[in-house]
Formats: sequence, structure tokens, C-alpha cells
Amino acid sequence: MSIPLPSVLKGLAALSVGIAAGYQFFSTGTTRKALLRPPGALDEPEFLSHCLRCGKCGLACPYRVIKYDDSLSQGTPYLIAREGPCRLCDDFPCIAACPSAALAPVADKRAVKMGIAVIDRDLCIALQGMRCEVCYRVCPLIDEAISIEYSLRKGDSHHAIFEPVINAEKCVGCGICEERCIISDPVAIYMKPRGS
Amino acid sequence: MELSRRVFVKGVAVAMAATAAGSLVACQDQTGSGGGGSGTGTDPGPSGGGAEAAIVKTKGVCRFCGTGCGVICEVKDGKLITVYGDPDNKSNMGLSCVKGLHLGQILYGDDRFVKPMIRDDKNTKGTPGGLREATWEEALDLVSTKLQDTWRNDKSRLAFWGSGQQPITEGYALAKFWKAGLLCNNIDPNARLCMASAVVAFMNVFQTDEPMGSYTDLDLADVFVTWGANMAEAHPVLYSRLTARKVSGPGVKHYDITTLRTSTSKTADKVLMFRPGSDLAVANAISNYLIQNNLYDKDFVEAHVQFKEGAENLGHAYEDGYDASDAGKTVNDVTGIDFARFSERMSTYTLEYASQISGVPAADIEELAKLFGDPDKKIMSLWTMGVNQHTRGTWMNHCIYNIHLLSGKISKPGSGPFSLTGQPTACGTAREVGLFAHRLPADLVVNNPQHRRYAEAIWDLPNEYLDAIEAPGKHTVRIFRDLSKGDIDFLWSCANNWAVTLPRLTRYLGKNPEYKGIIDAFIVVNEPYPTLSTQYADVVFPAAMWVEREGQYGNAERRTAVFEKAVDPPGEAMWDTWIFLQVAKRVLEGTMIGSTPAFDHLFGFVWDSATDDLIADQREVNRRLFNEYRIFSNPDLNDAAQAINKDSEGKFEALLKMENKQLAPYDEYLDNAALTWPVREVDGKWLATTWRFAEGKQSEGFDEVGIEMYGDAGKPGGVSFYKSAGKKPSAVFRPYEPPAEEPDAEYPFWFCTGRLLEHWHSGSMTRRVPNLDNALPEALLYMNADDCAALGISNGDKVKVTSRHGSFDITATTDQRVAPPAGMTFAPFFAEEALINLAVHDYYCPLSKEPDYKKTCIKIEKA
Repeated sequence: MSIPLPSVLKGLAALSVGIAAGYQFFSTGTTRKALLRPPGALDEPEFLSHCLRCGKCGLACPYRVIKYDDSLSQGTPYLIAREGPCRLCDDFPCIAACPSAALAPVADKRAVKMGIAVIDRDLCIALQGMRCEVCYRVCPLIDEAISIEYSLRKGDSHHAIFEPVINAEKCVGCGICEERCIISDPVAIYMKPRGS
Repeated sequence: MELSRRVFVKGVAVAMAATAAGSLVACQDQTGSGGGGSGTGTDPGPSGGGAEAAIVKTKGVCRFCGTGCGVICEVKDGKLITVYGDPDNKSNMGLSCVKGLHLGQILYGDDRFVKPMIRDDKNTKGTPGGLREATWEEALDLVSTKLQDTWRNDKSRLAFWGSGQQPITEGYALAKFWKAGLLCNNIDPNARLCMASAVVAFMNVFQTDEPMGSYTDLDLADVFVTWGANMAEAHPVLYSRLTARKVSGPGVKHYDITTLRTSTSKTADKVLMFRPGSDLAVANAISNYLIQNNLYDKDFVEAHVQFKEGAENLGHAYEDGYDASDAGKTVNDVTGIDFARFSERMSTYTLEYASQISGVPAADIEELAKLFGDPDKKIMSLWTMGVNQHTRGTWMNHCIYNIHLLSGKISKPGSGPFSLTGQPTACGTAREVGLFAHRLPADLVVNNPQHRRYAEAIWDLPNEYLDAIEAPGKHTVRIFRDLSKGDIDFLWSCANNWAVTLPRLTRYLGKNPEYKGIIDAFIVVNEPYPTLSTQYADVVFPAAMWVEREGQYGNAERRTAVFEKAVDPPGEAMWDTWIFLQVAKRVLEGTMIGSTPAFDHLFGFVWDSATDDLIADQREVNRRLFNEYRIFSNPDLNDAAQAINKDSEGKFEALLKMENKQLAPYDEYLDNAALTWPVREVDGKWLATTWRFAEGKQSEGFDEVGIEMYGDAGKPGGVSFYKSAGKKPSAVFRPYEPPAEEPDAEYPFWFCTGRLLEHWHSGSMTRRVPNLDNALPEALLYMNADDCAALGISNGDKVKVTSRHGSFDITATTDQRVAPPAGMTFAPFFAEEALINLAVHDYYCPLSKEPDYKKTCIKIEKA
């Protein structure tokens, strides 16, 4: 019952092979400067000096999304949003587990500041008039951190653009939008970690 | 570095949105199985690709919702590599939603059925295993023997469950096989679950099953009213059109009438949140306000409207014997009344009374009523499942028509009531070709002798041959209830997934020791993928999907569109028409019609006697089937049919006027996807009709030909409802009657079901597309935050939902994508692992027999 691999998938895979090198280089370049830290993380220099590299936050995370990596993070915790974003638990077990206050308590999910989502306007299909807006609908702070702006599509009096717009003041950088984005490799919305 | 990434990225966007081009395509698999396409054109192929095969382009129509977006398919080496919105299609102008953008991938899930499958041990039903591969010969012979045995033994014990996703010609061939070949009315479509209330109301009010307006009204309206419709998610591209009008038209307003805040509510200017079931009171209050304040269109009403009231206090259809009960037998009764009586009945529905029942502020109802009373406002009502899946669904459709008839806002550009459809061809196939238990093609019904004579003429059957199917068959809920009781021996389904989508699955899936019929019955499923339904199948026929064959859809605005075959189906999968006719050939063996074998008589015109198989050229099969079906709406093509249509012997009461539903010849649709019927030949050109019953030039989309032939010109409002009895549609008074269940101490929450943008219906296709599945991987129970707090439920907790009818487990969320008020909950039904229909009740509208999926009462416990 084996069916040949879908050509569309292969087509996209081929596309992603084509650009993977560029993206990898770019994102590695960025992530060396700034990693997406778990919620409550102190500013980067302070965080690095407080973090014991004990791994307790990762064990406490019910979603197992906190990563450690010797070469990239030198044992400090970080997240790759596309693979596993922060779910903004009501009780933040990762923060509770931190023995050194490198992850400091936050009042609630709105007080988290992991980073800010950035929409790649060249990639976002909503900006071309497609009805997508996945990033908007999955946002735990929908209509606060991200909203939709409606405008008439250029050269088309029959259709509107449903443009997702990030509110930098309100976005907490959890990364759920990046995880769910319909466009892959690279995704059309990505996290800019705090301090980068 | 940033710059180089941008360059790459732009390349990707272009490649995805337009044509896969250049060396990127060269990475593709070159071992395709050869093209089966019949494309409209070819490109010379990618530059720099050397000796690669050309890209073949074919035209298609999206196979998801009822919007009917046109798409272009690009095929290379026999594989569908790209699907994108057709820029020349007037309806979607190159756009699509995320589902449409991934259409091509639905063909290429890794678990397609590529051979017929047979279940030898019925004890394996309801499990993922138990099916073995078989040859076509073995599977066809087995199914045919079982069908023939049941048919000869007792026709009432067999049934077919069809679909609003079966292309028009496939549905037509099936309806002809079942009704004329087997002389059996036990055939009903899944449209019973979504459109039946709309259909019954169309027939009651207008005596014709069709919307009078079109999508063009979205470009012209001043006010939009969505009634129980989350268009923003369920009809994404159509909603873009509504939104375009809103952002560009001066002062355009949108009122969302709903029981919970949805994505559609977010763009509305005002949300009228009503208590479940009370929308009838809100609608009646608008009608009453128009009457009491003399704001209705008196000339229009005088000229065009007749008034009625009907049977009331219907109780609720839950017990199996309801249809035959005293209440059940009278549900269709109506009496003609005068306007004074109608006004008197309506007068109960003051703004205050409606507000008290519905919870909608009286001022909000008044604001909307005033707009309906403003002769200068063009108003479009749009509705879907909130209205149709309703214990008083037919009544609620009536209530909306009442408002539009009283205000004269109907059949006019920018103004009209518009019933949206949820499937790509709910109108085109399920409703138009006669897949219902009581219907024949083209709005004809089995219990009307003139209709039977007309069908006999077209099908060349002996006089009174179809009197054998005078009595309507079993409707959907009855079929499955009878199946569960062991009263159905043979069930066949196609293009649907009943084990997920039916309500009250606890009864139907054999989980209740009292109802084990599904295990004993012989069940056949035509399917491309394993689903919960195939887990109960005795035989699975591997079906060609979407553009793996040529077909046609009819969308919500009477638009008929052909999609071409683009690729071959995988393995041994075959198209449904071939499967139906192979079985028909075997089952009808030995049966004669007059002096010819029944099969030859009915299907000889698409059969190749040399090969003893269906004609190999699919286009030709479709053309012949469509052009025969077309006679139903063009009687001048058949003398015997025309004689009955014109009632030349004076035998019948009313003129059939079949030619006013006209379809064009098949080949006209190959070049033109924009033909909304009736399609009239004027000076050698085939002209569509945008506004039914409206005066104006045919060439501009008005119903010039229809009015000239049957109607009266110069009437108030410039319309003539020539299909309605006495040329007057009926305003029928329908009171508010409470829902079947209401929250109480034991089951304190309302539970409403529905659809979300990323997935389509039961998810059997969209969940196999990795990007769509990643975008919405889990069905969640949307709850009000205060309710969660009171129950100690946190966002993301697993909960157990229980109703009087069953229970299921699901993850609860307070995310605001869907934001129910306190006491209300919502979940979508795309996920087999959170099988919400185990708990949903199957109370149905007594008139339409369409179940109410919106108002089950539940309790919620932390799992």
C-alpha cells in the first residue's frame, strides 16, 4: 500500500532544500547572539551569571520544550519556537523549579517577555490576500498581542487583505505562532528573542 | 546576508503562489506513473531543465466548502505539483484559503487505499484492522451479490448514503441506478445533515429549491446580517468578499446574530448574542416591528406575498416513532391566512418579549429592524448551520424569509436572503440530481404523478414504471437508526464519513448492547483513505479523489463548474461512476425493462459493448450523463418529456415549467466556470442568471427570459416570483418553541459544534496535510473563563464531557478564538480522537429531519 511520495511535498521539500542553507546560516548567526529563553528569564548577562545549568526548568516543563545544548547554549536553557514553544502555563512550573532565580517569578502570562514575534512580509501569504491568519488565531493573547487589520486588496475590489499585525508592547514571545505558521522552511513569522 | 535570504524567500513565495519553476522543480521525482491529464494547455517546461517533461495545466474547483473557488492544477510527470487560485475565476480571483492552498496534497497522504479491501471477520469491526486486499472482481461480485440478495428479499432493508461531495454526473448516475434501476427510495445524502432545513423552507416558501441571489450581492449590500454562521472560518474567501465591501463601501454595516463569539463576530459592527433556540423570537420581533410601525413594503407585499400559518406545538423528534406519531404526521400542514391574521399572530413578538426570551437587548433588535424598514438600504442575510441544524430549522429559515418578503428586500442586486452551503456540490448534486429519499432530478418529487411521468419520459421507462417508488424512502437519521436496530441489511456510502459526522454515535457505532446492527449489516464504503467509517466496512472500494477523474460541482449560487481530470488515481483506485455501474451491471443482470435488459436500457448509452465496460473516455461519459440529466431542465430536447411538461393532454394541475431551471450543454462549462443557472441561449450565446425572478436584461444577469415566459413585468420591486404558487411566495408564521433540552442542574452547559478554518469536516483529508495538521493539530473544547474557574479547570486540562446521550474526552481551553458566553461551550468535529458526536443528540427538525448539532446539554468534569 505504499504510495510514492507526494510530488507537492517533494516540491516543497526541494524548495526548502534550496533555501535551507541560507536560513540556517542566518538563524544560527542570530541565535548565537540571542536565544529564546524560558519565561521569567533575567536579562541575558544576569541570566548567564545566575543560571546554574542544572536542567531543573526543563524537567519541570510539562511540554518538554526546554532544550540544552553544549555547543550552542553551553548548558543553559532555551527554546526553539518552531519545534516547541512556551505554552504559558498558568502556574509556570519552570520558574518555580529554578533554584537560582535566573528565571524570576512573573505576575501572569501577560507579564512574560521572552521576545517579540516578527512577521516576514515577503513570506506571509495573508499579505497576498490568502485567507490564512493562523498566527492570529493560535495566539494565546489574540486581539491583544496580535490583531488583524483589514484593507482592500490592491487591484481587486472584491477581496480584502486580512493582515496580521503584532503589538510589540503586548507580544510575550511565546512562539506559538511560529510553531503553527502554515509556511515552512523558513516560517513566515519568527521570534526575535529579547535583547537581540 | 539579510539580502541573500530575502532573495531566496521571494523565490519561494513566487514558486508557491504561481508556478513551480526553474531548477527547484528539477529536484522532483521523475518516476511518475504517466499523465492521465486532459489539460487545457501546456507550458514549455522549466528553463534550464533540459529534457524534462512539460507542465500540464488543468482547471479545477476547490473540493472543500460551498464557495466554489476556481483553481489551476499544474501536473508534471503525472503528479500534481501545484494548485493555485485561478486568477481568471470571477469568484475568487486567484485567491484561496489555507485549505485551498494545500489542495494538491490531499491526494498524497501515505495511506491511500489502492486496492479493494474485504473484511472476512465481522468481529473486527470498529478496529483499525481486519481488512484484507482483494481483486476488483472479488469485491464487485461480493457487493453485488449482497445487494442483490437484500434487494430481492426486502428493498426496505437496503440503503445508500450519498454526499454533497459527489460530482454531478456521478450523483446522477447513482440516483438513476437506485431510483429507476432498483426502484428504491432508500437513498439520502449527507446534505440531510446540513441543508435539509434550507431545502424544505425553499420548497415551502418559493416552491423551488434555489437561492434567488448570488455572490455578486456581497459587492453591493449596505448591511450584512449573519445568522448562525461563522463565515470567517467556514467560507473564508467569500468572507473576504464581504469584508472587502465592508472596508470600501461607505457606511456598510454587519450584524452578527449568534450564540457565541466567533471569528465572524470580531469583524461585525454589532453582535446580537441570543440564547440557543431563541433566534425565532428575534427574527419574529423584526417582522413584527416592520408591521407595527408600518415600515414594511406594502406594495411589494400586496403584489407578491401570500400568508400562512402551520401546525404548531410539534414537540421533539427523538423517539424512533416520531414521524408516524400524531404530531409527526401533521408537521407539514399549513393554512392560508390573511395579512391581518398574520399580523395578529406576529404581534406577540414585541421587542421586549423577544428580548426577554433571547437575552438580546431590545434596542439592538430595534436598530436592525429599522434598517430592514429603510427602503434605501440593501440588506443581505447569510446563514448556515446555526439556522439549519436546529430543532426548528425549517421554521427559522421561514422567519428569515418573512423579514425579507415583508421588507421587499429580495431578488434585488445587493438585497436578499442567501442560504450558504457547506459542501462543494450540496446544491449541484445532493439537491439537484435527486439524491434525497423523496426526490427525483431537478426539484421533482417521487410522490407527484406528473413528476414520475416526466422522469419516465426522459429515462424511456414504461408508463407508471416509477409508481413503484411513489412513497418516499428513509431519511438519513431513520436509515442509521434502523441500521442500529438491525433493520438495515445493506448500507453503501460514498464521499462521506458517517462514523464521525453523525450525531449520537453512541447509538450507531455498536457501543450500546441494544444497538448492534452496524456489526451484522453488510456495509460498503467508497473511500480514498482509512476512516472511522471504513473500520465498520465489510468492503472498501478504493476511490479516485477530486481531480483524479473529471467531475462537476454546483456551488451555493447555482454555479455549475467542471473540474478536469489532472492525474491518474493511485494503484487500482477507480472513479465512483465506474464502481456504481459495475455493481449495477451485476445486480440488474436478469432484470428486464420492457424487452431490453434493465442495465442496457438505463446505462447502455455510456457502456462500451465491445469491451463490456464503461466507455473509456471519461470526458465522453461525463458529457453523455450530463446531457441526459440536462433534459430534466430542458424538456424541448425530448418530445415525450415536453408533452408532459406542457401537459398537452390536460392531465395535471400545474404547469411544470422545467425549462426555467435550464442548464447549458456540457461543453459550455468546459470553457466557462461562471455559468449560474438558469442558463439561456440568447442569439447563440449561453447567458447565465445572477438574479433569479428579477427584471432586467439577461445579458446583465437578470431573469429576462424567465419573466418573459412565465412572469409579469412591471410589478412592484421589479420582480416576479413565477415559480411560486399563484406567483406569490409564502410568508409563514412560525412561533418560538423551546429547544429539546435546556441546561439543568445535572447538565448545566450548552454544547455547540462547528467548523474551524484549517480543517474541513471530519478531517479525513486536511489532517493528512502536514502543514494544516500542524496549524491546528487538536480539537479543543472552547469554554468561558469564569466557567473554567468555577470548575477548577485550567487552560489545557483534559476534561470529560457527558450528555444524556454519550461522552467523550477533550482538552479544554479558554483561548479566545471562539469565545462562548458563560454557560456555553463549543468544539469542532474534525478530530476522530475527540469524537464529539458521541455526546451530541440526534433530535431533528420535524419538518426537514435535519439533526440539531448546536444545542446538546452537557456536564464537564476534569478528566
